[in-house]
Amino acid sequence: MTTETIIRVLAALLAPPLIGALCFGLDRKITARFQGRIGPPVWQPFYDVAKLWRKEPMVLNRVKTLYVYLHLAFMMMVMVLLVLGEDMLMVLFAHAFSSIALILGAMSVRSPYSRLGAMRKIMQMLAYEPVLVLMVVGIALDNASFSASDIWVRPQPLLYSLPLVFLAFFVAALIKLDKSPFDVATSHHAHQELVKGVTLEFSGPYLALIEITHFYETFLVLAVMAFFWITEPAVGVGLAAAGFLGLIVVDNISARLTTRSMVKIMWTVPLMLTIINILWLYR
Amino acid sequence: MDSLVKSPWVVHYNCNSCNGCDIEFLACLTPLYDAERFGILHVGNPKHADMLVVTGAVNHRNSRVLRRVYEQMPEPKVVVALGVCTATGGIFAEGYNVLGGIDRVIPVDVFVPGCPPRPEAMIDGIVAALSRLSAKGRGQEVGPAKKDRITYQRPSDPAAEGKDDAAHRP
Amino acid sequence: MESVLVGLLIFGPILMGVLAWLAPGNRSRVLVVVLGAAGLSAVGVFTAWRGPFDFIPSTWLPWGPWAMFALEALEDVIITYIGYRLASQAIVVCGVVQFGLTLTEEYFRFQNPYLTQAPHFMVDPLSLILVLIITVIGSLIAVYALGYMERHAHHAPSSAGSNGRFFFFLMGFLGVMNWVVLTDNIQVFIICWEATTLCSFALIAHDGTGEALASAKRALLFTAFGGTANMAASAIGMAQFGTGDLTGLMAAGAMVPITLLCVGALTKSATLPFQSWLLGAMVAPTPVSALLHSATMVKAGTYLILRLAPSFTGTRLSDVLALCGAFTFALAAGLAIGQSNAKRVLAYSTISNLGLIVGCAGINTPLALAAALMILCFHAASKGLLFLCVGTIEQEIGSRDIEDMGGIRFRLPATTIITLVGMASMLIPPFGMLLSKWMAIEASIHSPLILMLVVAGSALTMVFWVKWMGRIQTVSYHPEERLEKLPPSMLTALVVLVLIVLACGLAAMPIHRTWFEPMVIQIYHGKLEAIRAAQSLVQLKAVSHLAIWPVLVLLGGAFLAWLGHRTFFKGRHERLPFLCGENVVAPDRFYSFYSLKDQPDSAWAASMYLTSVFSETKLTPWANLLALMILMSLFVMGGVTP
Repeated sequence: MTTETIIRVLAALLAPPLIGALCFGLDRKITARFQGRIGPPVWQPFYDVAKLWRKEPMVLNRVKTLYVYLHLAFMMMVMVLLVLGEDMLMVLFAHAFSSIALILGAMSVRSPYSRLGAMRKIMQMLAYEPVLVLMVVGIALDNASFSASDIWVRPQPLLYSLPLVFLAFFVAALIKLDKSPFDVATSHHAHQELVKGVTLEFSGPYLALIEITHFYETFLVLAVMAFFWITEPAVGVGLAAAGFLGLIVVDNISARLTTRSMVKIMWTVPLMLTIINILWLYR
Repeated sequence: MDSLVKSPWVVHYNCNSCNGCDIEFLACLTPLYDAERFGILHVGNPKHADMLVVTGAVNHRNSRVLRRVYEQMPEPKVVVALGVCTATGGIFAEGYNVLGGIDRVIPVDVFVPGCPPRPEAMIDGIVAALSRLSAKGRGQEVGPAKKDRITYQRPSDPAAEGKDDAAHRP
Repeated sequence: MESVLVGLLIFGPILMGVLAWLAPGNRSRVLVVVLGAAGLSAVGVFTAWRGPFDFIPSTWLPWGPWAMFALEALEDVIITYIGYRLASQAIVVCGVVQFGLTLTEEYFRFQNPYLTQAPHFMVDPLSLILVLIITVIGSLIAVYALGYMERHAHHAPSSAGSNGRFFFFLMGFLGVMNWVVLTDNIQVFIICWEATTLCSFALIAHDGTGEALASAKRALLFTAFGGTANMAASAIGMAQFGTGDLTGLMAAGAMVPITLLCVGALTKSATLPFQSWLLGAMVAPTPVSALLHSATMVKAGTYLILRLAPSFTGTRLSDVLALCGAFTFALAAGLAIGQSNAKRVLAYSTISNLGLIVGCAGINTPLALAAALMILCFHAASKGLLFLCVGTIEQEIGSRDIEDMGGIRFRLPATTIITLVGMASMLIPPFGMLLSKWMAIEASIHSPLILMLVVAGSALTMVFWVKWMGRIQTVSYHPEERLEKLPPSMLTALVVLVLIVLACGLAAMPIHRTWFEPMVIQIYHGKLEAIRAAQSLVQLKAVSHLAIWPVLVLLGGAFLAWLGHRTFFKGRHERLPFLCGENVVAPDRFYSFYSLKDQPDSAWAASMYLTSVFSETKLTPWANLLALMILMSLFVMGGVTP
């Protein structure tokens, strides 16, 4: 392993939570402005995590805490596999297992709220997982390779060949980042669902780890959006910024849907968009 | 900078209040008062909270709930009592089931007087509690909260037995 | 040497079975089965280590062909007789048709002197993989059955057969399964195939209750139907192509017999629409389910399809199998979501995975076949383990309902952890099942419809596993945790099997690189047209280069962090779950809350079963109809030719 690889891996582990936290802070600020409020400082997520880290590590049982570490480890695995240029489908699986670890952690106590949140998280995964897998397949078909390293060397932006997949991914990202109308399992900001559902029984440093994982996830979603125009990185970042703003707007203007209608919507419109786009690639 | 001070997450427990304080407390979160600019988040459960905000006069039925909610908050934690009911039982003090102020059940850090207190006063109270939260985070001992502007004591309290009682009865 | 190995693999278990039946007492039976299992797995491992060989018996008596004829006819007669006794006209018809086909076969066979030569054993890598699974996992299941059946006998209905008879069929099953995978001769293959059918009938019917008999009858009907298709294939092969060997059929490109053999294989491996017999077989004692699902029976069907796969690349048959398999994968995974009976969930998961194996064989590229082989191996180990775990849990808590399994973590700590490892090995990296699913998706990207079905299926698979895993590990802190007392045979089998699962899981990628990759490249050598072969090989190479170390490093790191966090966060910080502050605080009431009138009530949230979509009554008829239509499309629109 070369020094360069080590540096890249370290960068992939350290930079995303910082950027993700800033984005999350921006999210809260912009949301506040939409609502005519001043809002917290952009650094608020850092304060939150630092505070949570100092709180008492309250648990219900020992087993549960293992899953918090797994939740974070799988998300870090996503980053490492991505910078190493590994198979994108494997990256996606690692990403899914990050959520599964959280679900198992939430289900390992007999707390009805946390269990309901976990069940709803499973439904969320059921809703977006096919879209994400097909998105990766679409990218792979277009690149003729599943390798993440090949995505950098492309003659033209991915958005040209996968416009509908981008739209579908946008909807999936709403679920991924727990935004309305799909924040059924848990939600950030002050509006709670099921008294914080899946994260309810985690507190103190464990909640901090979950927050950090969420920062990774925010970064990941934005990075994937940027990948759709990676040939010119500036445009890619612009695309991600536009997508992020779109997510915040949708979050602010929509009411929460039921789990059932979430799955129905995801398995019809975005999934169909993805399938149509992919079928077009086979031509 | 103490991170505990920068992000107080608040859980609100309505301890049989008349809902006057609750409505005023919710007003703190509205755009007009915008408590979030101080990092104050209204979380729905004690497990994530740093600060317990209580309204209403505690009674025999819900005192155990108040105690459980308090116990389920991770250390360090502070309690802010909103309104006069939480201090003494307020206009419900004479109720056959009312225990009186919530400091009979859990330790209180700040009393915010008023019936109901204004939202500004509530936010002030929360911010005032932060220094105590910070002190607790550093492991310092903090004494009980002061109730200096409140004179009324419930009759069953042996210290106040028979003194002001008659004056308040119709 | 080779004759000794083959003889030991085939007749060793059968002999052990006879001894176990004749054994005078329980202790002598334990001795026979334990020694037999140890010996059988040793022979199996040695054979696999020694490598492939071809073997033709050097002595072949002139009455050999007649003996084979007699055996086959005898099996037909037994099937007919069972059908008559159970008053099932369909089975009687199957038996009679089989008898007729046997006579036809013999007619053609004795016309061609080449066909009456000694039956030929072909021990190639594929057979060796199967031998390894049958001997090692099958033996472990037999050992487990010792403890299980002894307990089972206490509460079994009076109609149940004796434990001696049970072990005769169990061990004999392993012997005939070995024979199925070692032989190249179609007639021997069919004789053993029918023998596995009869063994499974006897084992499913073991308890002798009405339900057991009905399930056994259904299993016999479906698999005997498949056997009939096989016999027709054999007869046509002899009559039209003059060959009695599987390799002969494959070399001749005899599509009609190959298609019939595949249909036979589908019934055995319980893909839609033939799944109902495997679900019914759940009434049998759990070691039987474990055996049917992991080491034997259903694996015979997939083995046959994998063996034949290279001979039908690019044909209609291949496409139909791919569609049928992928459809089964998705639908069975969906049906599993709606089930709360643990054994039925496992059964649907088996059907789903078998579907994926068939689908991969239908995609028919080196990568797809490698994926199919991975599933075959890892599924056998994990599913065998899971059935044994569910059997243990069922005996301990007296229920096989998943909703009753909450809180077993402190009643049965060891079993729960083993079960969790088994489930994790079905789902989570770096275990082999996930890698094989990943390879299956990558292999299917050139056929959109298959791809969609596989993607949908893997999302649904995730749902039912996670739901169940969450349920069985549900605990709060508990004052005391005591190890459960299991019979030594059950505990040994569980521990050895879980070690095998862990070892195979961690070594999944090296196993793929060392054995499966060269194997599939050799199997498909010259079998694919140039473009497709090149494409698939590039994919296969890319897959093999997956670096597993980040996965291991990070998961290991997470585990170490968890172990270390006790020292980092000193003191005890356990609290009760959040129940809106209404918790009942009492030593045995951690999940109770004060409900109406201050009465303690249990806090409980059941899992989602989504029965409005995934109920058997709603989904199964349509699924079966569609699957039947997919299969029928083989026989219409221009037949089975490319």
